[in-house]
Amino acid sequence: MDDLTLLGFGPDGWAPLLLKGCLLTLAVSAASMAIGTVLGVLLAWARLKGPRWLRRTALVYGVVLRGVPELLVILLLYFGLPSLILSLAETFGWDAPGLPPPFLVGSLSVGLVSAAYQAEIFRGGVGAIPRGQFEAARAMGFGDLLCFHRIVLPQVARVVLPALGNVWQFNLKDSALIAVTGLSELMRTSLVAAGSTRHPFLFFGVAMALYLVLTTLSSTAFHYGGRYSNRWDRG
Amino acid sequence: MTPPSPTVLTATNIRKSFGDREVLAGVSLEAREGEVISILGGSGSGKSTFLRCLNLLEVPDEGQIAIGDVQAPLARDRHGRLVVSDGRVAARLRTQTAMVFQGFNLWPHLTVLQNVMEAPLRVHRRDRDEVLATARTLLERVGMAGFHAAYPKRLSGGQQQRVAIARALATNPKLVLFDEPTSALDPERVREVLALMRSLAEEGRTMIVVTHEMAFARDVSSRVVHLMNGRVESSGPPAHMFGPDASPAFRAFLSPAAL
Amino acid sequence: MGEHLTFIGSVTAQLVRAVPVTLLILAVSGVCATVLATGLTVLSVARSPLPRLFQRTWTFLFRGTPLILQIFMIYYGFAMVPWIRHGFLWTAFRDPVFCTCLAMTCCCSAYIAEIFRGALAAVPRGEIEAGRACGMTGFMLLRRVIAPSLIRIALPSYSNEIIMMTKSTSLASTITVLDITGVAQQVIAHSYRTLDVFCAAAALYLLINAGLSALLAALERRLDVDRAVSSISVPPVVEPLS
Repeated sequence: MDDLTLLGFGPDGWAPLLLKGCLLTLAVSAASMAIGTVLGVLLAWARLKGPRWLRRTALVYGVVLRGVPELLVILLLYFGLPSLILSLAETFGWDAPGLPPPFLVGSLSVGLVSAAYQAEIFRGGVGAIPRGQFEAARAMGFGDLLCFHRIVLPQVARVVLPALGNVWQFNLKDSALIAVTGLSELMRTSLVAAGSTRHPFLFFGVAMALYLVLTTLSSTAFHYGGRYSNRWDRG
Repeated sequence: MTPPSPTVLTATNIRKSFGDREVLAGVSLEAREGEVISILGGSGSGKSTFLRCLNLLEVPDEGQIAIGDVQAPLARDRHGRLVVSDGRVAARLRTQTAMVFQGFNLWPHLTVLQNVMEAPLRVHRRDRDEVLATARTLLERVGMAGFHAAYPKRLSGGQQQRVAIARALATNPKLVLFDEPTSALDPERVREVLALMRSLAEEGRTMIVVTHEMAFARDVSSRVVHLMNGRVESSGPPAHMFGPDASPAFRAFLSPAAL
Repeated sequence: MGEHLTFIGSVTAQLVRAVPVTLLILAVSGVCATVLATGLTVLSVARSPLPRLFQRTWTFLFRGTPLILQIFMIYYGFAMVPWIRHGFLWTAFRDPVFCTCLAMTCCCSAYIAEIFRGALAAVPRGEIEAGRACGMTGFMLLRRVIAPSLIRIALPSYSNEIIMMTKSTSLASTITVLDITGVAQQVIAHSYRTLDVFCAAAALYLLINAGLSALLAALERRLDVDRAVSSISVPPVVEPLS
């Protein structure tokens, strides 16, 4: 069989599955990015304003999750989450639920790592805002929430967006590791295709090209997003 | 004699220390409507700290503050330190005042117009059209009518400070606090900002101004307060303070300024 | 409880035996990637466009795709190429440790080259001009003026990259290498005591990273001219200036 049929949309073609894999890769990366952002904001808040025990906890979380291989974290959740859910179900007397879906395991594990990096970024971003900005807001009677929404958020966005773009690239590439859990995202699909057709170069090459498309497109998007959030800073 | 105008600010026995250093050793001040009070003093005399205590940007260690009919919500915590006990009341106290900073502190991500409209829209929740009209008038008033859409970074220091003054006036505060508003400007720009402040005084705004501009204190203010070592060393109307009967300490403070 | 501790003890012992494999991959690919990155950096400032294009393509290719894909490409891909399979290179390419090192060298060299390139751009122009003004050219200028500044500027990001590499070595386990993660995976699959094994393995990685960080931080301090505890002692002025 020649390469074109293998990559086509015909009955022997892998194109539909590969494209589906692409979408799944994007979805799992986006989900882990979102998890990472929510948890990252909380962690940054804990480091900046939390009570001492919370500050310590957040610090340790960051050191561990940034120092341990992502693959190990994925393995922890992949093997650990089912037994955790099972023991939870036992204690509360629920019916034993099935295995957690691989999508959840994958996005959660990459998200937990992503949160550690994003927390550092947010912490730095808030630190980069001059103190006078907060004082001017407080002197006019702004509450904490309003101050965060109107003064902190728009300015943090500018400092943070390029760094978040980097984290997103890492998420995208880390999502390939989720292949070990059997989720048929792009990496897994190309591995299966390579194995069953015995054309590894072809399929890994195509997967590489698709990853390049994804990373290039998203870095362009972040570039323009960064330019927009930065519009007030150009002399 | 006309009956005395109502009191806008009462600050009693304000004390504040940073570590071992006592910056304010019991300062009291009362301001009536329409008064312009200049606070003078050498560096480290505590004048900026005092001003920042008035709107609770610094929490004093001791003392009471009332602005309009709002009493500053200060209470002791379990260690006996004075803390802000109710953030909402503190915010309400601040809405009665406005502050103009030495470093302008305009919000860089908002345009000139948005900077002026932000507090009346979001904090006071006033009607948008009304706020817009006020903002336009104010910007014209400070001579920045042509800069609505500009971001602060493009403006000179003097222009930024004039926008900051418009921002301060936009909520129509009972009391405007000026924290060395001309110290970060070059001499050219100082004049335009001082002229603006003078016209505000003439229009009857209640202002407390921490400044190094002796001419402003002498010609514009209704009262001059001299702070030294965290206390009010002397105070009085400018005619007295800049006259022959002024306290020796204040005269000594003035002398290098080549009057 | 006692049984629990014995289990953790035996797991840790098994994992520690895998540490040399992890360190070997890290050392080999770390050194090779740094050397390759230096070459790529030189290409990136070449006068003719072809070498520059090569460096940019290399960076684009290896930074834009997941390392695990690169490892699979080399390990499974080359096995299907007849002249490799039947040639003398087969002894190398059938070895998963070699394949991991090769992939990591290529991938990490792209990252490190970008760090070097950024640092090179950040070397103050004046320093180089001062070197030229003293009559330095070419290699001497590079060695005596540019390199010292460049290393100082690049070191923090470089340290960061080394930590990332330590974490990346775990990918070797996906192609059957029994490094720390590989052994951890084996033990988990047998015992299902995920958290214990994870904690033991995580502790080992954190220890390795802490050691590397300390080493690189010490190097950074040594090179920090601002803190001015220089290894070169300044000779005292003997003659009074008169």
